[in-house]
Amino acid sequence: MNEVLIKAEGVSKKFAKDLKKSLFYGLSDVFGGVIGRKVKDQLRKDEFWAVQDVHFEVRRGECLGLIGHNGAGKSTLLKMLNGLIAPDKGSITMKGRIAALIELGAGFNPILTGRENIYNNAAVIGFSKKEIDARFDSIVAFSEIGEFIDTPVKNYSSGMKVRLGFAVAAQLEPDVLIIDEVLAVGDLGFRVKCINRIQELLRKSAVIFVSHSMAQVTTICTDLILLNKGRIEFKGADIGAGVEKYFMKFDTGDQQIIRTKNVFLKNVSLSTWGAKDAQLPEVQEGVLQIESGGGITLKLNLDVEQSVKRLKIRIGIFNVEYRLLAEVDTDQEGLTVLNEKGNLQFEVDIRPLHLRYGKYSIHLHVMDQDTQERLLRQSDIAHFLVKNTIPVGSDFILPATWRFQTS
Amino acid sequence: MEIKIYNDSSRYHLGEVLKESLKGFKRSFYLARQLARRDIRAQYRQSVLGVVWAVVPVLMTALVWIFLQASGTIQLSSTGMPYPVFVLMGTTCWSVWTECLSLSIISVNANKSIITKINFDKEALITLGFMKMGFNFLIKLGLLIVFMALYHVVPGWSVFAFFPLLFITMLCCMSIGILLAPIGILYNDIGKAIPLSMQMLMYVSPVVYMSPKSGLMKQLMQYNPFYYMMDDLRNTLTGASIEHGTFWLIFGLMTILLFAFSLIVYRVSMPIITERMSA
Repeated sequence: MNEVLIKAEGVSKKFAKDLKKSLFYGLSDVFGGVIGRKVKDQLRKDEFWAVQDVHFEVRRGECLGLIGHNGAGKSTLLKMLNGLIAPDKGSITMKGRIAALIELGAGFNPILTGRENIYNNAAVIGFSKKEIDARFDSIVAFSEIGEFIDTPVKNYSSGMKVRLGFAVAAQLEPDVLIIDEVLAVGDLGFRVKCINRIQELLRKSAVIFVSHSMAQVTTICTDLILLNKGRIEFKGADIGAGVEKYFMKFDTGDQQIIRTKNVFLKNVSLSTWGAKDAQLPEVQEGVLQIESGGGITLKLNLDVEQSVKRLKIRIGIFNVEYRLLAEVDTDQEGLTVLNEKGNLQFEVDIRPLHLRYGKYSIHLHVMDQDTQERLLRQSDIAHFLVKNTIPVGSDFILPATWRFQTS
Repeated sequence: MEIKIYNDSSRYHLGEVLKESLKGFKRSFYLARQLARRDIRAQYRQSVLGVVWAVVPVLMTALVWIFLQASGTIQLSSTGMPYPVFVLMGTTCWSVWTECLSLSIISVNANKSIITKINFDKEALITLGFMKMGFNFLIKLGLLIVFMALYHVVPGWSVFAFFPLLFITMLCCMSIGILLAPIGILYNDIGKAIPLSMQMLMYVSPVVYMSPKSGLMKQLMQYNPFYYMMDDLRNTLTGASIEHGTFWLIFGLMTILLFAFSLIVYRVSMPIITERMSA
């Protein structure tokens, strides 16, 4: 068993909602801190627990993923782990050299050249002069900035700045590494380079990784903590189960409707494709659940004003990160929908859905076939869940036929 | 392997905090130097007049008073040395003290974006402010030397006391500035009040005129530490001997205590301030 490098015991932090109060409490905390007054456990007026009673341990070689929706307390916990702010209760113990990849290129001054800024940034993240001198060439090589190294940073593209920042950070050889969603930067080639470098670091250090990208979490993490309103809601090595809980928390928010003509969605119903009428659909917390590779049947009832004669209907499937994954369209099938009675009732089977586990949202799009005018665009008309699959980074798990040569 | 423990600040021991703070200065010296170099370079790379700007405010105040005196607009008691040199000494010291008072607040505010994201010894920001102030001071000192040479003011042996004494006064102003910093970062009022009150204080200190021999102003100045500071700093530059030995002894001791106290307050308050700072 490797040694424990990060240990959090009963870590809690309170915040004030009101700015004036927050400032005043801050001042009295400063005063209290100087005279050594004990911090009280109770909340003062307008305060709340931003992080409450968080326990965990991370060993060398392990990567703890920290997930949760906005406002769940991830950033606050991260700031405490990084030593920027002190917990109000509990304690955090860290062993060895700590590095935080929270912001790339901290300490850059836009007027100065890339060369000068390498020194600035490296000093800020804790390198000594000697260390920077020794690593300077590999930083320049890693960043792929080349001849522009003596150009002022303000003339760099945003990608170049990020590359330079990461190149400096990549030189760190920490025992404890804290990463906050900085991976998704730069062009594809550079991103691969970053991920490779981080994978290298993962083996040698204890890592805490904060992200909204479940794809990254599932590929990188060995353990997972799901935070909700400052408390741990899930903790364990079963990444899939944790991510599923995260998806269930996913609040689709308000339906967005953009309408240019009198087109109204009156009724929606969603069921598992191929299910017998008598069969009760599998439902979790009010959401239909299907197997990966299974299908859905969507029944819609639309009122459409008579001036529209011919329609086009498109249905989109979005994942929790609000990325459009797939669409079905009447045009693709060579269909034309005729509007004769001002009301349309129809069913559509969508299958096979070789999606990975998670929660998905269905959006509806209605267009006029003749004028190409967008008549209705309505988000989140229905949701469904895809049941536990093996953890994968991509959105789809395709069926495949494998043939192995035996001799 | 180094072990770091973060817990709630009330468990600190004051002596430990002070020790940590001093270590922090040492650990972060390179960072402070690098940031000072960054700021000074960036400042002058985008300017044609460059270092001239460091002396303009001092020179302007001095010139105004030189003009008022020379034109006979105001009648000032004899200063015992050429008036322009007298005024420039005064305004130079005064600007240094004003800078020392506000350098911590300015330094912290200017580096908010790093403070809220990266863990480093925040003492670096004090060193950074001090280095930038020192750089400006050297330029001002150059101007002062030019003036002294022009008017044939020659210092004696006591000139060797100039830097130590000036350093004590700087340290005192910085300590007060560091103590005010936590409030000054949370509430903008402090940053606005410092230059204003220093401007007021200047007129009850012998900066642009001598302390009178009698009257209300003399009484006021007796209680004003700036009077003693100014008086003896001028003495060291003009070849006269130091007059207020006892003052310096007490003042020096108090400054050291004040400085230690301010460092404790600073170190304890920075995490609390960081929490309330928006990046």
